[in-house]
Amino acid sequence: MAAAAGSRGFGLGRPGWRARADVVRTVFVARIKIITRYKGAILMEALLPIVFAAMPVLLGTTVASQQGVDPGAVFCENTMVSGRCTTNFRLYMLIGASTFTVVSLMLWLIGYWVRREQETGTLESLALAPARRIWVLAGVTTYAFVRAMIAFVIAIALGSLIFQVNPFERGVATALAFLALGLLPLWGLSFMFGAFIMKIKEADSVIQVLQWVLAFLMGVFYPITLLPPIMQGVAGLFPPTVMTDAVRASILDISYFYGSAYGSLAVLFAMALIVPLLGYEVFEVTERRLRRKEGVGHY
Amino acid sequence: MNLAARFPSAIGHACAITLNTESPVNDAFMEPIIRVEGLSKSFVTKERKKGKKGKRTVHALKDVNLEVYEGENFGLLGPNGAGKTTLIKCLTTLLLPSSGTAWVNGYNIEESEDLVRASLGCMLMGDRGLYWKLTGRENLDYFGALYHVPREVRRKRMEELIALLKLEEFADRTVETYSSGQKMLLAFAKALVNDAPILFFDEPTVTMDVPTARELRRIVRSLNKEQGKTIVYTTHLMHEAEELCDRVAIIDHGQIIALGTPNELKSSLVHEDAVHLEGVFPAPTVDRLRGIRGVRNVVVQAESSGRSTVAVLCDNSRLLLPRIIEAVTGNGASLEYIKPKEVTLEDVFIARTGRSLAVDTREVVKEAGKDGGGRG
Repeated sequence: MAAAAGSRGFGLGRPGWRARADVVRTVFVARIKIITRYKGAILMEALLPIVFAAMPVLLGTTVASQQGVDPGAVFCENTMVSGRCTTNFRLYMLIGASTFTVVSLMLWLIGYWVRREQETGTLESLALAPARRIWVLAGVTTYAFVRAMIAFVIAIALGSLIFQVNPFERGVATALAFLALGLLPLWGLSFMFGAFIMKIKEADSVIQVLQWVLAFLMGVFYPITLLPPIMQGVAGLFPPTVMTDAVRASILDISYFYGSAYGSLAVLFAMALIVPLLGYEVFEVTERRLRRKEGVGHY
Repeated sequence: MNLAARFPSAIGHACAITLNTESPVNDAFMEPIIRVEGLSKSFVTKERKKGKKGKRTVHALKDVNLEVYEGENFGLLGPNGAGKTTLIKCLTTLLLPSSGTAWVNGYNIEESEDLVRASLGCMLMGDRGLYWKLTGRENLDYFGALYHVPREVRRKRMEELIALLKLEEFADRTVETYSSGQKMLLAFAKALVNDAPILFFDEPTVTMDVPTARELRRIVRSLNKEQGKTIVYTTHLMHEAEELCDRVAIIDHGQIIALGTPNELKSSLVHEDAVHLEGVFPAPTVDRLRGIRGVRNVVVQAESSGRSTVAVLCDNSRLLLPRIIEAVTGNGASLEYIKPKEVTLEDVFIARTGRSLAVDTREVVKEAGKDGGGRG
């Protein structure tokens, strides 16, 4: 076999950390540039959790005031777990809606990214390049993470003003640690979701359905201990549920689903180790199967 | 394979190799840089006929064997649906073969996918595969990073490509504002961004105006002759293939039916002449032509408003000309133009397949249009 003539091309050597980081950075920057060229997109999605939380908050407040009872007390009574509850139902809802938005946005952005790239032919262009898929996905998930966090921070700040609650009274550092740890398995879930979209080639309806399943499993507006035991077991294995529960428990000083902060930390840590690897494997296997059958560019 | 021995400069670098602008030219193609062995690819496709669903296995490639030599400009000819894009997709690792295998730049397409990809620059999807919300320059930077071209080298390379392809005027505009031709030029630049030794071009001139297409062909020639790049060029434009390619493979129904230099292929029809006729020819005329002893094939190449162009391949056109004229006159036929002509690759295609490439391509496109399909 011949040696290559003239230039041998780039990437024939094993790419080092700088080349990999360059891929992650370039993909991330390109995604950010693209979204900022659609005016108002980032700001609008930050309003989602506020609207989402406002529905049960207003409903609960109205019903309670009609019955002449304190809505906080009713909420506390209905959501009591292990003798602990909170009367700050507004903050409870706001945190739930905001973490839900982070999860929903991450999945939506990855799913939509795969679909869009399929339709425009850029997924094939990516498949032609020697950069490993994991670094491209790392760039995209980092972008999705940044975008989701922007929405989260704006929603918490603006929502706190609107609902007149203070999320910074206690446990903020612990809550942020849980949020950061919870995002790692979320990356893995995003990879799996991306693989699923790549296979079924229809993002919109799946995302719409999944959002409501997510909201149900995550216990956005209620503790999952209110669910039947089997559903509790399923929900407890879903990383975003553990993340939401732990963030809320640390800020509102209520009980953790896994008994204590350490219990939730251990579970989330295990998920952070396993789920991203599993997600990447699922993505690779799906892509390889598609290449065996029809190619990744079919849409 | 000992990579360190083969690519000494590629091993141990954090990013990649530096840009090598030396341009050795290989006059003789001695060693295969692409080798295809018994490659087959089948797809199961879903069909919906009259409300009934069914599945059908399409054999897009059937036991293809091929060698492309280093420094060669190799043409793949065939109508749409012949299997040339499937072959290219297998060679570029976009598709996995059903059986058989191939080596590109010494690397197996299934075992060393990343190294195969790093060896290639590809323009396969026309103006698709670009980010429309990014500028031309940003697109080049993006894909340069995916090919592990170091940032400093990338910047220099981008400027060179922008100058070479005269993209200055629109390189800083978002791609959504480009014309089709401009998008094709950018897609072409994208294929060159990693300075790969092997370039795949799938109908690169398809939406370009004549001067731009001519300029692009000039650049392709220069990449091949002056920089020693190996080029695999697919087209259904015979004149492009004749103009550019050192060797040509004609592919039809997933099989290579002819392979050689354009001259070899044409001289394979040395005992055959081609006579082209234009006029109004009722259906029996073609049968009468086929009935003449010494006529090997008759193909209706184009039809519009009742007028046809007919190619007659025969043993000796001078000898047969009176009988051909006799066959196409009278009985409602009207001969407007007749010309014995030099054998072209189009004639080779006709001789091998019994069809005209131009007509075949139009019919496939028409069918795709009916089905709501498109080029992809």
